[in-house]
Amino acid sequence: MSAPLLALDGVSVDFGPVSAVCDVSLEVSEGEIFGLVGESGCGKTTLAMAVMGLLPATAAVRGAIRFEGDDVLTRSEADRRKLRGDRISMVFQDPRAALDPAFPVGEQVAETIRAHRSVTRRAAREEAIRLLGEVGIPAAAERYRDPPHRLSGGMQQRVVIATALANEPSLLIADEPTTALDVTIQAQILGLIRELRDRHRTTVVLIAHDLGVVAELCDRAGVLYAGQLMEVAPVERIFAAPQHPYTKALLAALPTRAAARGALPVAAGGVPDLADAPPGCRFAPRCPVRMDACAEVPPPVLSEPGHATSCWYAAQRGAPA
Amino acid sequence: MSAVATAVRNVTVRGNRRTRAGAAILATLILIALLAPVLAPHDPNAIDPNRILAGPDLSHPFGSDALGRDVFSRVLFAYRVSLAVAIGSVLLALAVGIPLGLLAGYYGGPIDSLLMRPVDLLLALPALLLALSLISVIGPGTWVALFAIAVIYLPIMARVVRSSVLRVVNEDYVAGAGARGVTRMGVMVRHVLPNSLGPSLVQASVLMGFAIQIEAALSFLGLGAQPPTPSLGLMLADGYQVLQQAPWADIFPGLAIAIAVLAFILIGDGMRAHFDPHGVSR
Amino acid sequence: MSPRTRYALERLLLTIPTLLAMSLFVFLLIRLVPGDPVRTMLGFRATPANVATIRHQLHLDEPLPTQYIAWMGALLHGDLGRDYISHAPLSQLLGEALPVTLELTLLAMALALAVGLPLGVLAATGRGPVRRLTDGFVIAGVSIPDFWLGTLLVLLFAATLEWLPPSGYVPFTSDPVENLRYMALPVLTLAVGEAAYILRTTRGAMEETLGAPFVTFLRAKGLPERSIVFRHALRNAAVPIVTVVGIQFGVLLGGAIVIETLFGLPGVGRLTVTAINQRNYTVVQGSVLVIATMFILVNLATDLVYGWLDPRIDEVAER
Repeated sequence: MSAPLLALDGVSVDFGPVSAVCDVSLEVSEGEIFGLVGESGCGKTTLAMAVMGLLPATAAVRGAIRFEGDDVLTRSEADRRKLRGDRISMVFQDPRAALDPAFPVGEQVAETIRAHRSVTRRAAREEAIRLLGEVGIPAAAERYRDPPHRLSGGMQQRVVIATALANEPSLLIADEPTTALDVTIQAQILGLIRELRDRHRTTVVLIAHDLGVVAELCDRAGVLYAGQLMEVAPVERIFAAPQHPYTKALLAALPTRAAARGALPVAAGGVPDLADAPPGCRFAPRCPVRMDACAEVPPPVLSEPGHATSCWYAAQRGAPA
Repeated sequence: MSAVATAVRNVTVRGNRRTRAGAAILATLILIALLAPVLAPHDPNAIDPNRILAGPDLSHPFGSDALGRDVFSRVLFAYRVSLAVAIGSVLLALAVGIPLGLLAGYYGGPIDSLLMRPVDLLLALPALLLALSLISVIGPGTWVALFAIAVIYLPIMARVVRSSVLRVVNEDYVAGAGARGVTRMGVMVRHVLPNSLGPSLVQASVLMGFAIQIEAALSFLGLGAQPPTPSLGLMLADGYQVLQQAPWADIFPGLAIAIAVLAFILIGDGMRAHFDPHGVSR
Repeated sequence: MSPRTRYALERLLLTIPTLLAMSLFVFLLIRLVPGDPVRTMLGFRATPANVATIRHQLHLDEPLPTQYIAWMGALLHGDLGRDYISHAPLSQLLGEALPVTLELTLLAMALALAVGLPLGVLAATGRGPVRRLTDGFVIAGVSIPDFWLGTLLVLLFAATLEWLPPSGYVPFTSDPVENLRYMALPVLTLAVGEAAYILRTTRGAMEETLGAPFVTFLRAKGLPERSIVFRHALRNAAVPIVTVVGIQFGVLLGGAIVIETLFGLPGVGRLTVTAINQRNYTVVQGSVLVIATMFILVNLATDLVYGWLDPRIDEVAER
């Protein structure tokens, strides 16, 4: 098995007393689409920003983030900036907020190209037009000059994706790229991402809170809760044979036709206060199969080829059902 | 009244460092102004031929001016005029501007245009010029200055209130009050008004600071407070005449103005985060 | 027609009613004076014959609308009336005074921008000590009355160091160097307060822009910080900055009135003040008209620049 493109090793992110991400370890292989799932505020975006190196100065990051074998946390800011937009790119949730309202959309793609490659303005412009066409923007040469607000949300997101892929990065982090868009556009954008992955062999980390999106697009997925990684497995296994109680609760809460009658099952309780989190598993207070050790001691990782679960209960039960 | 109590509490207890510093300075100045007759070591109008242009000493901390008058005492009494004009003019502007802005913002449409158009025309002239125009007609004086400054500030206050009202009017609790059957007048007075006042308080404070400067400028030009009324601006004009021989006659009145302006600006700035988070005021 | 053009035309057309309203206001001023303005104006020179003549010249005995039309008519022909004390035509008086005021305000604004803008950007992107320093400068600059600062500068540069003259004026066309020597202190006086204001506005606008999500995306693209600050942030921050600069020009015009008086500069401001003190109403009318017109035109220019700069002008124009 070749070395993973991205490897997180015991990554923790603290904002003062608040522990936003706690001891997350996972690997993303080249060419796969990895889904990072969890509810709002669980630390998905923080983790992504840590990989990109875009956290504010108040954030303290521990652990190792290895990209192509090299721990980026030990690199200088200048080096990390060179990686951004070139080898690692990010797509944000709200395209309206991502684009500079004062500049033409084409120019925003072109400047990304010029920032990392020494090309003439004309060459960058032509490349930008080509990219805009590739992401499905009609009449790209004319739309080049449009300011962002003349484009619909879906079109704007395509521009953002074009910008992200301008320099053929090895890794693309897509942070809830469709959440701010209409459902019909969602499908288009997701399709676009898959298509681009196929064509350019880009590795994608897709952050989502919608399990449906993950099921549709991802090869493997990791489940995050309150900054802790609960379970990682190929997507089919997550849905068919989830091992972690939180994953099971997430799936159970999905409205399906079978459970259309009656109330949706809800996990009682709320997300813990991250400034005062217990040392053990953070889902413990709400876990239906909680044991005494759970809140106090960090659970072991029960792992099988490709499937890791961080849970005392699962560990006790041994091999998965 | 409870709104006032809340406001005072907000400034003193929950206010941040700037507000507290500014409020402390202002309170001191107001106290000084009120107690001027008691605090002043000398009669501000007493001419003393022996002390013409004399420098600062223990009994005359700010020195003496061209007529031998004690600058310190004069500054204390001049504060009364400056503070009274500054606070009075802004309160007058508020008294007219709040109802105007409230009605314009709440009812909108033709009423908005009807009320705001004439008010906006006042903005077509630079502030000081407008004041001078009014003074040219009515004649100079302290009260005229107060009135002129109030006229300058009226459109600003009305606009701030109006913008604030426009924002508040869209809030759910306003619609809720209407849905509960509260009359339009009731909604306007009991729900919209109290919640719209925040930015106007910040604006009022800042404007009071500038009012001190405008009043000083008008007096400096000889068009504000007239002698024998002591006025900081007038003292500056006189002090400038003897700048080289007696710089204290110019420095201390100017410093006095700056401190008063500083106090108001600090209060306004400090209140901004809490009272005007959306930046409606200028 | 592009939204930008439409917006520009709108602004241009709206200036006309504003100018008309302002002219009406100025027109009414002299006629609101209690008593007989002509008699007051002439003072000891008031003989019944003089008064009657001038009243006739000013059409004061005719109905108001006629007066206004006559006055406006004369105005549009370039006749601003006369100064009845010095017997000089106002267009001449004002024509000589206007360049002085223009030079003062434009130089002051230019200097203020040259200092305030870069410092504002620096304050927004710099660390703690820079912020505290600029904070202090801003608060001092806003609190200190500009004319007091003027006196202090005179004390330092004219009285003590004797580098610069405390008052007087030489036209630029006669002697540029002397002109600048005389303008130095007045311009500096006005510029300091203005620079503080511009610094504060620039800092605020830049901070707000740099905190916007699109800046995070610019960083995610790997753009160098310099490009982010100067190419993107400043361009976006320019919109609120330009708006404030326009408003501040009015403040500057007001300040110029006092500064001209302080430094003895023969500009429109000093003319106004002298005229008010002398009850010279026709001069007051003329100079207020000129200053107010300048102000309205500057506002128009600001609006047009704003329209050109604001990327969302299409949406604004729709409203």
